[in-house]
Amino acid sequence: MDPIIVADRLGKSYGPRVALSDVSFAIAPGEVIGLLGPNGSGKSTLLRILAGYLPPSSGEVRLDGLDVVRDGFAVHERIGYVPEDAPLYDGMRVAEFLRFMARIKGLRRVAAARAVGASIEALNLGAVREAPIFRLSRGYRQRVAIAQALLGDPPVLLLDEPTNALDAFQVIGVRELIRGFAGRRTVIVASHVLAEIGRMATRTMMLVDGRLLTQDAMALAAAATPRLCVRAAGAAEAVRACLAAVAGVGAVEQAADGSFRVVAAPRPGQEPDLAAAIAAALVGAGFALSELAPEAADLEAVFLDLTRARRAAA
Amino acid sequence: MNRFAALLGKETRALFTSSVAYVVLTAFLLIMGYSFSLTLFLTHTPSLVHVFFQIYVLFLLTVPVITMRTLAEERRQRTLELLLTAPVTEAQVVAAKYLASLGLIALMLALSSVYALLLGLFGTPEWGPIVSGYVGLLLLGAGLIGVGVFTSALAANQVVAALVSLSLFLLFWIIDQFGYLLPDPYNALVTNLSLSVHFKPFATGSVYLSDAGFFITMALLGNLLAVRALGRR
Repeated sequence: MDPIIVADRLGKSYGPRVALSDVSFAIAPGEVIGLLGPNGSGKSTLLRILAGYLPPSSGEVRLDGLDVVRDGFAVHERIGYVPEDAPLYDGMRVAEFLRFMARIKGLRRVAAARAVGASIEALNLGAVREAPIFRLSRGYRQRVAIAQALLGDPPVLLLDEPTNALDAFQVIGVRELIRGFAGRRTVIVASHVLAEIGRMATRTMMLVDGRLLTQDAMALAAAATPRLCVRAAGAAEAVRACLAAVAGVGAVEQAADGSFRVVAAPRPGQEPDLAAAIAAALVGAGFALSELAPEAADLEAVFLDLTRARRAAA
Repeated sequence: MNRFAALLGKETRALFTSSVAYVVLTAFLLIMGYSFSLTLFLTHTPSLVHVFFQIYVLFLLTVPVITMRTLAEERRQRTLELLLTAPVTEAQVVAAKYLASLGLIALMLALSSVYALLLGLFGTPEWGPIVSGYVGLLLLGAGLIGVGVFTSALAANQVVAALVSLSLFLLFWIIDQFGYLLPDPYNALVTNLSLSVHFKPFATGSVYLSDAGFFITMALLGNLLAVRALGRR
């Protein structure tokens, strides 16, 4: 399937400060992309460029085959955008604001009323329908901002920190909503919250210091060498020596809590049962084994590794 | 058209749900009512020439207040990001704000037409200068609002926007005084930039296309520059 969003060597500078550098990626229709990065890594700048709000300093982005700079109007018809911190018209009431947004997205009166009703229902905003926006809590403001992005059923959604300021229940609601878009709409969710992204995205891109470090962090996590967490009673050095002697063990590290992390030596084509070998070796040597568990490399590990490697290189 | 109507509706509501419109209207009607009755009792002449000159000065002072929030407030609240990523053009955004502000000026003039009606009821005024005076004021308002919307597009702060447009208006109110000091041909050039020089004929009953053209150019240039300012992000 042809990609719906293609970025080619995007760069953005604010004077001497480089916000984005050489960012290229392609996104297929129906993907839910998590855009992960620490604060100030360029996530919002990237989303603003994709939304056609900021022009890139170099490179180009095509959305549905359209250049976001030259064909801004047509691009805006295809996107729903939630800017960072959910800016809204404080003087309006919720339904009035949503009606206005629906109308400027080109919906006629009846269609606009229907879309507003559906959005209010999807984001559970019924209770504040007629409330003035300046009275809303942060959580409600965030949901109103998401509700306006859904109006007009755009094929692409760009959400900048959409779960900011939401409580646990609201986060679950929004996460389910976004997950439900997979396959039907293309979504890019920017966030600095690792756990959030891992739960709603079908693919995670990582942006650090304006550079795209990976287009698929989950694949990196899955491909990373498996690690085992081992806890055994006995002298630490003796346990470590025993672990290191097991065939197939690559590296042994001791964590602050006294447990060991065992990394398998890379042996292509072979999948030995390292856990069984370790258990046999420790028990055989007379150590009381209290924990032996596989530890999947998660997004956090990939994120930290890539960020450290990037900062060390810089 | 649907989108523009929505933008215009929003701007008009924003103007009339804030206190600005009512404060401006109240101040305008109080001052003009006092000034109209005083002039009429003193001169016993069914003419609005004095009233027109007073409205002219009031416009220079109130237009910055009317236009200051138009774009500066969107920028401060960061709602500009919502507007400019929606399928509307920058020209539509600016035009809606411009027309809503012009609507308030037109309303002020419509309410002040009570004075002309009173003159018509109780006297025999010369209607030509009255009509030309109103046309001149509407054109002046159109030009001033253009400049006001432009300064609001540049400033991130409403007060700065108001102060910049007020300074510009005051400068171009009296710039003909400097023009007279300059050698030929600069004197004509600078004198012709004056708002007073172009407004005076309207107030006294003479309509020149060049004067109308001056205010229309001001309005168009203001809008054009505001659109350009929004485009630079």
